Amino acid sequence: MNKQAQIQIFETIAVLVVFFILLGIGFIFYTKVIKSNIESDTAEISQSKSVSIAQRVMFLPEIQCSDDYCPKEDCIDTLKLDSAISVIDKPENSLYYYDLFEFSDISIKEIYPSSGVAILLYSKATNDYKNKFQTNVPVTLCDPRTHTNKFGMITITTQTK
Amino acid sequence: MKKAQTEILGLAIVVVLVIIATILVVKFGFSKPANARNDFTNSEEASNILNTFLRTSANECGQVTMTDLLQDCAHGNGIVCTNGEDSCSFVKSAATDILSRTLGAEKKQYNFLACSNFNLKEIKCYDAAPLVDEVGQSCPGQKKLKIFPIPLNPGIIYAKLEICS
Repeated sequence: MNKQAQIQIFETIAVLVVFFILLGIGFIFYTKVIKSNIESDTAEISQSKSVSIAQRVMFLPEIQCSDDYCPKEDCIDTLKLDSAISVIDKPENSLYYYDLFEFSDISIKEIYPSSGVAILLYSKATNDYKNKFQTNVPVTLCDPRTHTNKFGMITITTQTK
Repeated sequence: MKKAQTEILGLAIVVVLVIIATILVVKFGFSKPANARNDFTNSEEASNILNTFLRTSANECGQVTMTDLLQDCAHGNGIVCTNGEDSCSFVKSAATDILSRTLGAEKKQYNFLACSNFNLKEIKCYDAAPLVDEVGQSCPGQKKLKIFPIPLNPGIIYAKLEICS
């Protein structure tokens, strides 16, 4: 084999090496993009789940106002709230409420006129979670006995896998 | 094919590959992450807070709501609360209290205003002395805004809440 032919073979090998290096870099970039897209989709699904749990809480008939004197949207009946806590706490109802709220903490706190202690409505936690979101929703706390409306806040902390 | 022509063809292929790679980087590398929860909470927050505030009862003023107090304020302060405040100053102190405990606690900047001479197109109050003067600070940049009309006989009061983004 003459010298010219040897140089051409080495040149071809060098071109092939560079080509495969570029192909490898492209593949790594592609897999990173796909991975980040999957993570972004997972985060969005988790956030949607957190929003839907917050909406379920807002429209939970166990606590929502239904009296003529109380507004019905974004309103919690404080009389119903006491009963709802004991109903949600019952072991035979735990599966039903788990279906609704999954792994979350739901607490209700009076903000005005007095800053009260948060009342825990539902709590189920897991150590095996990927994302944790907290959503605060202002609500009216209506007492149908006195027809008074207080300013309250529902805090919903959801854990998603 | 001559050697020079082959090299030009190779160069053209490399240029095409670089352009394709750049397009892919721009398309996938700089896409904005979606944030469904923040979109939901930001859009609902101003509306929920203002709505809840306006129907909150004032214990010291005979259990009337903040809406009633604003209407009284516009009519000329018939209600005097047990703490000595008139309806206008009671609404202002209640708004200051509630907003500092909610939005203030979340380190969010806000601005609350109640006004009877309000231009909805310009989002500007033309009252020389608004019913409830600015609670909080105006937003210099982007904001979420909610305006609630409160009927008056005659006229309308507008309650405005801005939450800075």
